[in-house]
Amino acid sequence: MSRTQLLQLATNLVNTHGFTRKALAESVLSLPPGQAHPEPLSDTAVSALFGIGDDARRTLIHAWLDQGVRHMGTVPSPTLKSVLHARLRYNEPMLQHLPEAFALLASPNSGVSLLDPIPILKHSSRIADESCYISGDTSVQFSWYVRRASIAGIYGASELHQLTSPSTAYSFLDNLFDTANNFGTSLEELGLFSSYVFKSWKGIFKSKGIV
Amino acid sequence: MLCVFRCAGRPFRLSPSVGAGVRYISSESSSSSQSPPKTASFGFRTVPEESKESLVKEVFDSVASSYDLMNDASSLGVHRLWKDDFVSRLRPGRKGPLKCIDVAGGTGDIALRILDYAREKHYDRETTVEVVDINGEMLKEGFKRFKQTMYHNTPQVSFHEANAQELPPSQFPDNNYDLYTIAFGIRNCTSIPAVLQEAHRILKPGGTFACLEFSKVNNPVLSMLYEQYSFSIIPLLGTILAGDRNSYQYLVESIRRFPPQPEFADMIREAGFKTGENIDGGAWTDLWGGIACIHTGVKI
Repeated sequence: MSRTQLLQLATNLVNTHGFTRKALAESVLSLPPGQAHPEPLSDTAVSALFGIGDDARRTLIHAWLDQGVRHMGTVPSPTLKSVLHARLRYNEPMLQHLPEAFALLASPNSGVSLLDPIPILKHSSRIADESCYISGDTSVQFSWYVRRASIAGIYGASELHQLTSPSTAYSFLDNLFDTANNFGTSLEELGLFSSYVFKSWKGIFKSKGIV
Repeated sequence: MLCVFRCAGRPFRLSPSVGAGVRYISSESSSSSQSPPKTASFGFRTVPEESKESLVKEVFDSVASSYDLMNDASSLGVHRLWKDDFVSRLRPGRKGPLKCIDVAGGTGDIALRILDYAREKHYDRETTVEVVDINGEMLKEGFKRFKQTMYHNTPQVSFHEANAQELPPSQFPDNNYDLYTIAFGIRNCTSIPAVLQEAHRILKPGGTFACLEFSKVNNPVLSMLYEQYSFSIIPLLGTILAGDRNSYQYLVESIRRFPPQPEFADMIREAGFKTGENIDGGAWTDLWGGIACIHTGVKI
């Protein structure tokens, strides 16, 4: 029985205990018969395996997020929307614990307790990258970054929306996608129109002998 | 020699039958058909295996009375911070009393810290510590120290002379302890894997192994400064304060022979313990850039 397996068992207890050290301590009670411990792990053992204080809770949150990323890969005939819908569905049983979990991720380990947005941005970016990979996105170069940045923004906003209004989160995500697509199309048209204007001006300057 | 102290209401035997190996050094033996003499490292020297026991015993007999003074002088008092940190990370007594064993803990400073931490932070007077050491002189120092404390003649502390590699099962049964600590002792053992196996045997399922030991400094600048300090200043302080340069020269050399962090973490896992990830902050925690290091593992 490895530490990773214990973490997996602990993620099953999050629904009951939240992202707590108690969930980690009680993971050994869920081991297969013969290996299960009669008592939860001691506080010292939880610290030794998963980290001291809130670090252990962070370890559990990251394990749960990793499991969420793997869950995205189980969607049959995946499209970008269906993959992101599946990821939102994965959140549903834990919604009551998620605000605290994200708050913990955004709190620095030590020092002045200013909010650190990097872990949350990493979370959204990872989901964006994974969803692009699963749905077979073929964008390259600059558009590779633009694509992932826009999906990360859309998913992050939808997840935030889900915390307050779980039932409308899916339509919110779809709307954002449509808006983003329209915005993208408008941006492309604007680019095309600008290139025509530029070419026209270039022609005018040439005919005047300026260039 | 058979000395009997009384501590914690039970007899404390310094038995010669188990006196081989806690404070000894790594050995390399060969098993060719010629059967060449077995050798062991003694600091940077290679010595016949049969003579190393007496050599290391001499080292610790020699330094026992001035051990803490020299530790203070050579580390500028920092070893106290490391030991405080070591114990506070384990948080003994936080979720109820623990049954602890402190191996190679002769002078009792880890045991004392465990009991103080449990009492002061968590109002716990039920946590117990069994102090084990191969060296009777070191144990005598610890026993003397505990006489100054409230724990003397209580069931909270007891002293035992025994070999960390072969803890007698009658005295140290299987699955018996919640916490096993060993501070600045394991590098002196003849066989580190044997010590780890014994630790795994006597810990309960869910019990924690915790080791504080000098380790490898990874920062090249700090490493160079540390190297100079270790080989120039510490033996000199040994000469001035303890009148014993060679013993402190050995102690410094033995630190360099100890496996670096990832390698020791592998040894802990090979003994059957589960550890955190193989990084600083996971399976181990570096103190002062790796001059000292805390390794932990859990018996599942």
